[in-house]
Amino acid sequence: MRRLLGILTIVAAAVLLQEASPGSAARGASAPPAVPDDTLAIIVNQSNTIDDLSLKELRTVFLGERSHWPNGRRITLVMMDPGMSERKAVLRDVCHMNETEFSRHFLQGLFTGEVFVSPKTLSTSVGVRKFVFNVPGAIGYLRASDVDGTVKVIKVNGHRPDEAEYPLRIELRAAK
Amino acid sequence: MKSHTIASAGWRFTRNRSGWTKRLLPLTLIVLASPMCLVAQQEAPAVDADKQTIQMLLQRIEKLEARVSQLEGTPGATAKPQTVSAVAQEVPRLLQAPAASPAEEPAASTRAQAQASDPEQEMEHLEPERMDMSKTLLRIRGFGDINFRGSNQEGGTNSFALGQLNLFVTSDISEKFKFLGEIVFESGPDNFYNVPGGKRNEFAVDVERYLVQYSYNDYFNLAAGRYHTAIGFYNTAYHHSTWFQTTTGRPLLFEFEDSGGILPIHNVGLSASGRIPSGALGLHYVAEIGNGRQSRSPLSEEPVQNEVDENNFKAVNFALFARPDSIRGLQIGFSGYHDKLMPLSSPRIDETILAAHAVYMVPKFEWLNEVVLVRHAPDGSSEVFNTPGFYTQIAKRFGSYQPYFRYQYINASDREPIFPHVGRMDGPSLGLRYDASESVALKVQYDYNLARHQQNYSGLNLQLGFTF
Repeated sequence: MRRLLGILTIVAAAVLLQEASPGSAARGASAPPAVPDDTLAIIVNQSNTIDDLSLKELRTVFLGERSHWPNGRRITLVMMDPGMSERKAVLRDVCHMNETEFSRHFLQGLFTGEVFVSPKTLSTSVGVRKFVFNVPGAIGYLRASDVDGTVKVIKVNGHRPDEAEYPLRIELRAAK
Repeated sequence: MKSHTIASAGWRFTRNRSGWTKRLLPLTLIVLASPMCLVAQQEAPAVDADKQTIQMLLQRIEKLEARVSQLEGTPGATAKPQTVSAVAQEVPRLLQAPAASPAEEPAASTRAQAQASDPEQEMEHLEPERMDMSKTLLRIRGFGDINFRGSNQEGGTNSFALGQLNLFVTSDISEKFKFLGEIVFESGPDNFYNVPGGKRNEFAVDVERYLVQYSYNDYFNLAAGRYHTAIGFYNTAYHHSTWFQTTTGRPLLFEFEDSGGILPIHNVGLSASGRIPSGALGLHYVAEIGNGRQSRSPLSEEPVQNEVDENNFKAVNFALFARPDSIRGLQIGFSGYHDKLMPLSSPRIDETILAAHAVYMVPKFEWLNEVVLVRHAPDGSSEVFNTPGFYTQIAKRFGSYQPYFRYQYINASDREPIFPHVGRMDGPSLGLRYDASESVALKVQYDYNLARHQQNYSGLNLQLGFTF
């Protein structure tokens, strides 16, 4: 009886500790599964009604060929500095261009007037997150581990970043 | 609260039990109390985060006050109502941001600090479309080219030649409005419809494009001002930048009006453009109405009617082209242009220009094909003058090198009422472009020219094209 009571007490204490421990809420039934750190998340402003874009649509957006969201708001593209692995992944997997071709494409688009605004270039993930948080028409990208609740992550080709079929990765393909 | 209840129950339980339970009681209380401590500790970062959020909001209020004061030019009381209003708009936006989970709160606090640490940039992001009178909104990109050329044409010499110095200016006026301009400094004499004129070696300034663009959505954009007429492909793809062009110069068909060209390259008026909902076909349209070109032959003045149209008829142009999703880089299209020309001492002329193009351009390969028919029909005459022209250009990139070939052809009647001196011109061009850097290109091009009523001749052009 004594032993049983002792065990029960310890179990109860352990349960209470578990409930009160930091991060327990995030590990609830509705919590998303862990996202690999090499995943590239496409982010938009929280007010944006877009939930899903195909890679083709994403390409038209990232090449400035589409300049407005369906709600009429102008698209503001946020790119990270040249050389950053996230940018390399977008150029490779979304734009299918190298750095020179991408620069030239935008320069020519602006020159002809077909591209309405040039991309905003930022050097840090915090800067990108801040910009997308503040600008309703903004779209950018971040390493999935750099995403927080201030921005909205959209699906690509119908897949969330935590799904195996999600098409945008950073290092793995970059290393090839 | 839950822990408290359990602790109370535990206390009642121990009152009626023997000594071992009394010894267990303090241990149990300690164990059970530890979650409460953890909860209390957990609340501490949340309070910190709230404080930081409040701090951030206060900083925003200060910034907005400073901003309003700056805009109104008067500090203090008059700015306050707007400040409150602006803050009232911003606060809900901040509160709408999803709350971070307990585990994320410390990180969120750090981010909040980071967000508050760059107030000027943050203000810019909060109000990206508001015009700031204290800042210049102009962006300028330059293009230029320097040449060395020679030919065996009679009277020709080998010369260094300055090409066009082009200042491409843009400005985001607001979310929907934008200014775009090309200011070009160029030397050399004019050449209207193959008739040289003007002074050599003097620089002149031309405003080649001067547009205010309104972008409503992807399907409707409107521009007003001086634009490049959407006849064919080349004219609206390269404008006045030789650096963008693979070759050293434009095809004869698309030469500028003051360089011997036969098309109304520039126009002053309105231009609407946009996508057409067509799925994978990728249809686009351009519809233009403008003054058209001057036709008082022989031309000795600017052929583009910048401020006065010689008649009340307006030139209209409609272009339709497709960029199919299935073949990225392919563009196929046609255009139709109509104007009424009023040359001196001759009847009014109906001008119709039909153009079609098929272009395939990817970063490592390009193949441009365009055909144009200029049709002039004088009133009261059954005679119609058709001037056909075409060019084909193909280029392949090997690293920094891009060899290319072009063949071009124009054939105008000697009795053509607007450009009787153009005649027939055709010939091949062969060249090599070398991109020395992202912004500098060296080109060498050999041209062989055949022309009616002229001796055939060859020319060589070395060009340094650049953007800055």
